[in-house]
Amino acid sequence: MQVLTGVLNGNLTVISLDRISFGYDGRATLEGVEVTIPAGSFHFLTGPSGAGKTTLLKLIHLEHRPHKGSIALFGENIAPSDAAQRTRLRRRIGVVFQDFRLIDHMSVADNIALPLRLQGKPMATHREDVTELVEWVGLTERADALPRTLSAGEKQRAAIARAVITSPELIIADEPTGNIDAEMGMRILRLLVELNRLGKTVLVATHDLGLIRAAKSLVQARTLRLSERRLLLAASEL
Amino acid sequence: MAALRSIAARIGLLPDDEGGPPIVPPSGWSAWLTTLTAGAMAFLALLTIAAGLAAGGLAEDWRADLAEAATLRLPAGTDAATVAQVVDLLRATPGIASSRPLDAAEQAALLEPWLGRGAALDDLPLPVMIDLRVLGTGPDVAALEANLGLTAPGAVYDDHAGVRAPLGRAAEEVRRLALAGTLLVIVAAASMVALAARASLAANSELVRIIRLIGGEDAFITRAFVGRVVRRTALGALAGAALGAAALAALPAGGAAAALAPVLLPGAEGLAALAAAVALGLVAVGWAAARITLRVTLREME
Ligand SMILES: Nc1ncnc2c1ncn2[C@@H]1O[C@H](COP(=O)(O)OP(=O)(O)OP(=O)(O)O)[C@@H](O)[C@H]1O
Ligand SMILES: [Mg+2]
Repeated sequence: MQVLTGVLNGNLTVISLDRISFGYDGRATLEGVEVTIPAGSFHFLTGPSGAGKTTLLKLIHLEHRPHKGSIALFGENIAPSDAAQRTRLRRRIGVVFQDFRLIDHMSVADNIALPLRLQGKPMATHREDVTELVEWVGLTERADALPRTLSAGEKQRAAIARAVITSPELIIADEPTGNIDAEMGMRILRLLVELNRLGKTVLVATHDLGLIRAAKSLVQARTLRLSERRLLLAASEL
Repeated sequence: MAALRSIAARIGLLPDDEGGPPIVPPSGWSAWLTTLTAGAMAFLALLTIAAGLAAGGLAEDWRADLAEAATLRLPAGTDAATVAQVVDLLRATPGIASSRPLDAAEQAALLEPWLGRGAALDDLPLPVMIDLRVLGTGPDVAALEANLGLTAPGAVYDDHAGVRAPLGRAAEEVRRLALAGTLLVIVAAASMVALAARASLAANSELVRIIRLIGGEDAFITRAFVGRVVRRTALGALAGAALGAAALAALPAGGAAAALAPVLLPGAEGLAALAAAVALGLVAVGWAAARITLRVTLREME
């Protein structure tokens, strides 16, 4: 079943999954998943816990390889063994991992700045961006702290800042508001919406229906639902 | 200076601190084992090379001394007039610089180790020995002996080849042993660095995974880890080589090797150069070993 979503921004397809199947240890998690996500769109991905939202995002981020089917990102077909392609495409994607994946021995500010460093961007010219973003996610006081001393919500905000510091074309966020209060959740949502208005493609996995509802008052967002190993357009979208 | 710094940073000798804190986390005291081992390796390498150079050089010296000397032996009882005739003939022979018959006292000194002091040499039928200094490859022995045949039948020319050849072989063997020792140190150093690099990567597998996921290249990861290992190796190698050089320089002050020290050892500058070469060599070996190991291990971690 092909889930086609509206073309919002030209007709470039940022994510294209073609009959993807994947599972862990012989159990199928996803079967025949197809989706096309156009550039500049805003999508939510929902579904019950364990449905495979994180798994699907990991496939898109090239952390897992599909057992069947193929993936194209930014119009490029993925060659499973091409490490250089993987790196090149990942640099166009900002990810917020459900488990944050901050680097333990680096301060919050250094974690947030790391993608710049990895892409060889001179720190000198970006120091202000980092400071500004740290302030935006409300971590100025904690900028020099190590991740293990942060609360879950603070880690989450650091992870979000790291995902957007390079101003990537595609932002993938796995439960970005899972550990933060409603007010901070709205702030994060507004950041994502703002980035979407600047032309970034956004894909957010969440169970937080309140977040989806709030988003829909700000932006034209569509909801994809994972159910029974398949991906459907949510009932409300039909 | 800036260019030098950037090259040093690229090969990992200096931390690349432009972009923030070290990528590889500090790893506690066990990492210093790399430094310690590198130090021991440098020390051993320096001693092995110095010993090889010295022993080889010493044998070479003896051989060279002997190569300039030869002996002409005339049968016992040859009279003084004949000896004088032979000396004249030798003077005219190309390839011989000088000749000098040994007097009775010198002969006695030569034989003393075998016969004991004060032996009654006069009663023994001793050959007459003429000490020769030769030039270049020496005289044409066949022609010389043919010439001597008429004047002093039974004269024998001895160029000490029988003693020289084993000395030459000894020098060669010592050199080969030193080379083998040096190669072993290189292999051991490379293995040690490879193990350290692998362990460091294994201890930081989550870090490697995160860096890859947020767009880091394997080359970046390799540089960071190579830098860590190479800096530790360099520190140890420098200290070890310096200690080794100091130990060698201190030899003449006492101990059994003191008498040989002037022959055995290159001068202070030579020692310093040798120590620097050993340290540099170990760093180069460590750098190459770390790089190769990290690349292979990262590929395994795909
Ligand atoms: N590394 C793994 N090894 C084995 N099974 C896994 C692994 N990761 C996830 N799974 C299983 O795959 C299924 C999908 O997991 P996934 O994390 O994608 O769910 P999710 O929709 O993100 O859930 P949640 O809303 O709780 O985050 C679950 O049954 C989970 O137990
Ligand atoms: Mg999940």
